[in-house]
Amino acid sequence: MTCDDARAHLPDFLTGELSAKAKSSVDAHLAACGACAEEFHKVSETWMKLGVLPVEQPSAALRDRFYTMLEAYKEGLDARTADRKAEKAFSIREFFSWKRPAFRFAAAAALLFVGLAGGLFVGRSGAFNEKFARLERQVDDMRQTTALSLLRQPSSSERLLGVSYSEQMRAPGEQTLTALFRILDTDPSVNVRLAVVDALFLFAKDNRVKDGLVASLGRQESPLVQVALIDLLTEAREQKAVDALKALIADDKIHPDVREKAKQGVKNLTS
Amino acid sequence: MTDHQIMSDVRNGYVEKLAILFERHYVSLFNYFLRLTGNREVSEDLVQDVFTRILKYRATYQGEDRYIVWMFKIARNAHIDALRRRKEALPLDEQLAEPADAEPLPEDRLEREQDSALVSKALGLLPPRKQEILVLSRFQHMKYREIAELLDCPVGTVKAMIHRAVAELGEIYAALTREKCHDM
Repeated sequence: MTCDDARAHLPDFLTGELSAKAKSSVDAHLAACGACAEEFHKVSETWMKLGVLPVEQPSAALRDRFYTMLEAYKEGLDARTADRKAEKAFSIREFFSWKRPAFRFAAAAALLFVGLAGGLFVGRSGAFNEKFARLERQVDDMRQTTALSLLRQPSSSERLLGVSYSEQMRAPGEQTLTALFRILDTDPSVNVRLAVVDALFLFAKDNRVKDGLVASLGRQESPLVQVALIDLLTEAREQKAVDALKALIADDKIHPDVREKAKQGVKNLTS
Repeated sequence: MTDHQIMSDVRNGYVEKLAILFERHYVSLFNYFLRLTGNREVSEDLVQDVFTRILKYRATYQGEDRYIVWMFKIARNAHIDALRRRKEALPLDEQLAEPADAEPLPEDRLEREQDSALVSKALGLLPPRKQEILVLSRFQHMKYREIAELLDCPVGTVKAMIHRAVAELGEIYAALTREKCHDM
């Protein structure tokens, strides 16, 4: 079993879904490979750590609100059923006839109300939207600044936080995108590069992002990052990725799992 | 009676039976939202929203999915809609605000609660997709196959995301622990 094979079993290992045969192969590999043993230990420790979070109980008000809502819905449903029965004995056409003065008056009043309310709403919502958009831009600027500063830090954990901030932007600026792609291509930590792939997934509709991802695929050496990029480009239905995927398939040095993934990608994108 | 049988009855007009599904799942849904939002009030509103939507869309329940997957599809949509409404309106400093200090606690409980708060904060700093996938697997105990069905992606992608999410969570937790030690 190779290191990549062992790591592919890690998610099942965490949830205890590994078959006995696979588990004994993984155990044998971990006994012989220090790096994998350390990674399994670290990841399992974090997985166990999540167990400290207690199961929280909601307030009693939630149940009260649910039963009130259910009761109201049931009453509404019963009333609608009764109405439908009543309608059979009463002609709707006759009731809504324009010949009825009361209906004519009500319709005119309703039209006047809609006109006035619409005018007021349009007048107010313009100023509100402008103010809201300005606030949105300010928050986004703050995020960009924080993200850029964190992305330049020497510690990989700080850079991961930076990637996390950049994901919260509505649209990353030119500087943030450049920083993210620089990290994707050159960062020494595979985890940070993978986090960047996930972050860029959110902005995959942007052509600059798509082109950058396709170009980066040819520069990656880690099979994990290659697989993540192939998944992203396939999911984004990026046709420009087909040539890059074919180049990977033709590469003799490529990991067999990556070649297989690239073949699936080409198939999905060209079908 | 299974969830599927009860939901089929709700779809066919026996809406009062929704109370059984509520009693079975409301705590679990509340915890799902709480891990994602970190806010009790918002989480309670979202649970209420899920059951309101179940009633509204009961006619669309076909039973092809397992009930739990169908319910979590509704839960995800409710959360996404709430995020759209709230996220951008919240200033950054408020998003990063520390919870208010409560009254002093005994030392061991204090340590446990601080650790739990740190794990919770680290979870909150994960990218939303990874956070969600981790919550579904670790706390909702959903199988990878079910998560794949829910998120409409291959099982292999779910597994790869779990691996990366846990590794990243470990790094963020370590960074926060170092930050905390540095502050003390």
